[in-house]
Formats: sequence, C-alpha cells, structure tokens
Amino acid sequence: MSDRFRARLIAIGFLALVFVAAPAALTAFGKSYYWQVADLALIFALLAGSMHLVTGVAGLLQLGHAAFYGVGAYAAALLATKAGLSLAFTLPLAGLSAATIAVLVALPTMRLVSIYFAVATLAIGQMLYLIMLNWVEVTKGPNGIMLFSGMKFAGLDLSRPLPTYLVVAATVCVSLFVLHRLSHSYYGNALRALREDDQCADAMGVDTVRLKIEAFGVSGFFAGVAGALWAHTAGFISPPDFSFQTSILILAMVVVGGLGSLPGAVLGAFILILLPEALRPFGDFRNIAVGVVLFASILFVPKGLIGEVSALDFARRQLAGAWRRDGAGAEIGWR
Amino acid sequence: MTLLQVQGATRRFGGLIAVDNVSMDVAAGEIVGVIGPNGAGKTTLFNLISGFTPLSGGEIRFDGARIDGEKTFAIARKGVGRTFQNLRIFPNMSLFDNVSVGAIGMLGAGPLSSLRRDTKVATEIAERTWTALERVDLAREAHTLAANLSYGKRKYLEIARALAMAPKLLILDEPAAGLNDSETHTLAAFIRDLHAGGMTVLLVEHNMALVMSICRRVVVLASGRKIADGAPDAVRADPLVLESYLGVEEEA
Ligand SMILES: Nc1ncnc2c1ncn2[C@@H]1O[C@H](COP(=O)(O)OP(=O)(O)OP(=O)(O)O)[C@@H](O)[C@H]1O
Ligand SMILES: [Mg+2]
Repeated sequence: MSDRFRARLIAIGFLALVFVAAPAALTAFGKSYYWQVADLALIFALLAGSMHLVTGVAGLLQLGHAAFYGVGAYAAALLATKAGLSLAFTLPLAGLSAATIAVLVALPTMRLVSIYFAVATLAIGQMLYLIMLNWVEVTKGPNGIMLFSGMKFAGLDLSRPLPTYLVVAATVCVSLFVLHRLSHSYYGNALRALREDDQCADAMGVDTVRLKIEAFGVSGFFAGVAGALWAHTAGFISPPDFSFQTSILILAMVVVGGLGSLPGAVLGAFILILLPEALRPFGDFRNIAVGVVLFASILFVPKGLIGEVSALDFARRQLAGAWRRDGAGAEIGWR
Repeated sequence: MTLLQVQGATRRFGGLIAVDNVSMDVAAGEIVGVIGPNGAGKTTLFNLISGFTPLSGGEIRFDGARIDGEKTFAIARKGVGRTFQNLRIFPNMSLFDNVSVGAIGMLGAGPLSSLRRDTKVATEIAERTWTALERVDLAREAHTLAANLSYGKRKYLEIARALAMAPKLLILDEPAAGLNDSETHTLAAFIRDLHAGGMTVLLVEHNMALVMSICRRVVVLASGRKIADGAPDAVRADPLVLESYLGVEEEA
C-alpha cells in the first residue's frame, strides 16, 4: 500500500512539475527563450516515447524516426497555411499522415531482420528528408515554411508563452498516457515477445507481422503529433530539423533512459535537451560535456537510467493500480 | 477421433530429403513418441506440423481441416502448441510475461483492448497464465526474469508457455535433453500427468527409457523415413529399428 502511495505520489509529482512548477518558474524568469526550451523538451519527450514503443519494446531498430516527425510537421504547416486549419485539426491529421506513411513503409520492410531493417529505416529517413529538401513547390525546400498565427484555436489566441506551453504539455501528457497503456499492458508483452524471439512468438499464435506494422504505425502517429506541435510552436520549420542527426538524438534519449522503459525515454529526452541548455555558459565546451555524459551513462548504466524491469514494475503495480489481487493475495494481472 | 493426420509429408533442403513421405495419425487424447537417430528428421517433422517450415510435398490435417500452407500463428491458434529442442524462452521478460504470451497470442489481445483496459480479456489471460505457472510450480517466482532461471526450470517455463495456449495438441521436442536422471524422472511423471488430464501429446525424445515408459505408441524415423509405428514393445523388437536406431544408440 505504501508502495502504491509512493508511486501515485511520483505520478502526481510529475504532473505537478509539468503543469504547475515549470510554468511558475518560467513565468518568474520571464524569458521567452526558456519557454521555447521547455516546449522543445516536451516535444522530444513525446518523440522519445514514440520511438520507445517501436525500438525499446518491439525491438525494431528505427534510424529514421525524425522523418516521421518531419512528415507531421510539414502536414501541420501545410494544413495550417494552405487550408487555414487550426491546431485542433492539424494535430490529429499530422499524426494520421505520419502513421499512414509509416505503415506504407513498414509493409515491405517488416520481413527484414535486425540490421537490415535498421538500414532500411535509415534509407527511408533519408528519402523523406530529401523530399522535404527538394520538393520545392510544396515544401519550399531549404527555405522552410513560416506559420503565421499558428497558435489560434476557436478564436482564442494561444500564442503567448504560457498557453502555448500548456497546449504542448497537455498533448504530450495525453500521448504519453496512451503509449503507457500500450507498452505496459498485455499488448506490450506481445510486442516484447517480438523483440525477444519473433519466430517463437509466432508459434504462440502472435501475429508478428501485423503487430510490427501496428507498432510502427502508432509510433509514427505520435512522431507526427510531435511534428505538428513543433510546427505550431516554433512557427517556422525547415528540413534540417528532421535530419538523420535528429533521429540519432532521439535514439540516444531512448538508450540513455533505458531501452524498453517509457519513463526512461522521457527522462532521457529531458536530459539531452536541458543539459546542453544548462551548459550554455560554457560555450562550445558544452557539446563535449554532453558527449561525455552520453558515453559515461552507456558505460556505467548500460540498461539505462530507469531500466525496463523497474519501469515495468513501477508502471504496472502502482502507477495505474492495474494489478488486481484475488482473495488469496495473488496478482491477477493487468486490467 | 483423429486430431492430427500427416499424409506423405516430404521436406527437401536442396538435395537432402529431411522428411521423406512420412504418414502418421495422432488421435485425440493419445500420447505418441517420435524417436530416431540424430538427423532423422524429427525436428523437421515437427516444424512441418507447426508451420515453421513449408512442405515440399504431402499434406497435414488438424482437427479435420488442412493446415499446411497456413501461417505459423494461424496454426498455433487452431490449437497446436509446441516447445523447442534448443530452448527458446524470452530471456528479458519475467516468467509471468513469458507465459502470458501464450495466452495473448491465442486470445489476440490487440491495442484497443489494452487502451480500453478490457477486463474480460485481461482476466482470461491472467487466469490462464497463473494456472499454467502453477501447473509447473513456478508461480512463486513469477516476477523474476527468465534469464535468471536455471536450465531445468527454463524447460518447464517453455512448457508452461505452451500450456497457456490451451492447445489441443502439445508438441514437445526433446524436453528431457540436458536433464539428469532424477529430473528426467520428474519430467516423465509431469508429462504422464498432462496426458492423464486429457492432453494430446506428440513427443520427440532421445531418452528411450522415457519414451517407452510414457508413450503407448512410438513412431520411428530414420533418414527421413518412417520405419516403424506401434506399441513400444513391438517397436523395440523390430529388427529394422534395432539395426538403424537402437544399435547406433548402444554404440554411442
Ligand atoms: N533449415 C535446414 N536447412 C538445411 N538442412 C536442414 C535444415 N533443417 C534440418 N536440416 C537437415 O535435415 C536433417 C534432419 O534434421 P532434423 O533436425 O529434423 O533431425 P532430428 O531428427 O531432429 O535430429 P536431432 O536428434 O539431432 O535433433 C538433418 O540432416 C539436418 O541437417
Ligand atoms: Mg531435433
């Protein structure tokens, strides 16, 4: 019971940090730049969380995640500028566009194993990146797209830092909640079985190809949503935001936090976005420092800052109160 | 009632004929042993039945319908559960999670049911999982990682995972390999119990004593061909079998 109480406290603490403490501190500092950093940290928490599902849980090494982030961002930017849609529509539509492309891409690549799959995702990421760069009539190429008044919804002007931040925080938290339900339930177990031994999972009646495509689609969806958030909050997008480097950055977040661990992915994102900002006074030295932190964390905590085992234990037993107990005190499992 | 019907099953790997025109039936409730020297084609036969390997010829019926050509997971869902000769557990998952996969696969718990937290499906999965874990006496360790389990217990974990599928036919590929005498003895009693509880079992085993003690019928393969099929005593006395299998075994 006290375990459960502590875990509830952690969950409430996280929400309090995101929705109360962070906005209060940011308001006190008053610099709009800090607000942008906070938005970016949340957006990357969602990117890392969505990659966690496909790479950490289902074990498919995804090297082109940033491309789906880009597809979402461009979809949102084009829908907002050309069709004049507000973010209530662009968010889900951006997610759906990215998910559609992810599924189309997944269909032919799902039969590839490990390293070949990784290289295929790399190629797809590059291809999408080159399309963003070269399809000038639509994407404006290297010049990027400006979104004026991207943060308006139902007549409300959300473009001031606090409302913008709250929109981002709410979207990210709801998305992470969905990812939590998927990765910590029995469905997550089926995905984990793919990672461990997909042939064997097949022999247990698990439709492995379908599951991989689903995981890829869901992951693409949330990457797309993150892209829409970025387009609307930054007000300007261009191809370099969605390059291979960004994919690797997201991968690093997932690995530093702990492969297979959703809280780990979120923590990894916060660290790798906030640390370089915190070290800004040290100038160019900060990039080396970030590299050292990455290297040391892989060396000393290879399972990640919050490993999969403890993340699962935490999420299942307590966070959702999901493990029922029968009369004899045995756990019945996830509801 | 015939549960499994293999007719003229053939499997070629290049020039090698691993399974050569093998026919055999398994009736519901039966326990049948498959024996034969190394490379006889026993594992390949099991792979053909469970859909791991496609047939080069012949056909396989399960529960009255053809299953050859179906996808592996679809065959599993029809009620074919199996274990592997070279132990295939999910090492980075807890015992509970390992075993739950058997039930999840069969019940097809999808993303929507976990988003809605479908209590009915989840309870069914949990009950099957706990029952299977208790059946192999691993319930108390349910939350340890499979990677931390001893070799002997891993074997039972694999069987429990197959049991959570609630299969109509349980295929065991050398369950006693690597176990010592007393462990083998316990395993024999366990399999006999399963059978007594109504499970249909198809068993590959090198340990002759084990096969002879728990199977009422034994099929003998050699170089991909079926050379004998009958009661253990009759098979043991078969000159063809003595020559191609038992002789080899005694030399070894
Ligand atoms: N995937 C494959 N590709 C090529 N040859 C194979 C393949 N699988 C099996 N074989 C060959 O088919 C023959 C039968 O192998 P199988 O594994 O079925 O024998 P087995 O009776 O299970 O032997 P053991 O007692 O050693 O487990 C062997 O000669 C083996 O080398
Ligand atoms: Mg074999």
